[in-house]
Amino acid sequence: MAKIVDARGLPCPQPVILTRNALQENTAVTTIVDNQTAQHNVTRMAQKAGCMVQIEEQDDGIYLHINRAETPQEQAAPQPASVPVRGPLVLVIPGEFMGRGEHVELGNILMRGFFHTLGEVEPLPDAIVFFNSGVKLVVDGSPVLEDLQGLHDRGVKILACGTCLGYYELKEKVAVGEVSNMYTIAETILRAGKAVNL
Amino acid sequence: MTDKQYAVILVHSTNYALRAEKVLAKAGISCKLIPVPRHLSSDCGVCIRIERANQEAALQALKAACVEIEGVHEI
Repeated sequence: MAKIVDARGLPCPQPVILTRNALQENTAVTTIVDNQTAQHNVTRMAQKAGCMVQIEEQDDGIYLHINRAETPQEQAAPQPASVPVRGPLVLVIPGEFMGRGEHVELGNILMRGFFHTLGEVEPLPDAIVFFNSGVKLVVDGSPVLEDLQGLHDRGVKILACGTCLGYYELKEKVAVGEVSNMYTIAETILRAGKAVNL
Repeated sequence: MTDKQYAVILVHSTNYALRAEKVLAKAGISCKLIPVPRHLSSDCGVCIRIERANQEAALQALKAACVEIEGVHEI
């Protein structure tokens, strides 16, 4: 029997999260959604995870019949390169531009593109740490505020360096995440399973 | 969550994308500079995402400002 996940009426990304959780314990899951966005998001997640998805539209909702392929061999002998990292994935943002170069405009475009894309790819980082001029990205008027808000809503912890916000006189303008200190920032980076510096 | 319908406007270069963004902002049309979706191009380029409801107005504003467009795709 397939495990039923009734995700009708639930806001994004709940349908995806509930389905993913159900798939961890069940090989067959039927998720019921009531809109196309949820249908697409759940289907994409399931297919990416190697599952078969059958879509059945009924009067009371869209039924997504998801079957997880059994892959005991892969689980028993994983390739070294595919061993998942243990511990949180932390993104480190030390500046308001992505990469280094003589044109800040390009760095700005890249940073905006990066945070937009972060909302569409896997895996989601567990935390994002902003310091130095990177803190300008978490305040009012930031070009990536909408994306950061979306990530924050999906459970990504957003930490901004208080010293840096103070230096730029931006502490009152923080619009997403929390103002943090060097202890928390240092611990977050040191305890990460993987820290990626942008 | 609001379920907005979007379209992307592709242009010939990054500089055109920046110009398009400025033109649309000036015209009061909300837009977002985003990487070209993977299914549209394998190049690492940027494009302008708008709400479909604003598509006509956006294209007119860009035409008036002489920003040449490569294509429009619904996403």
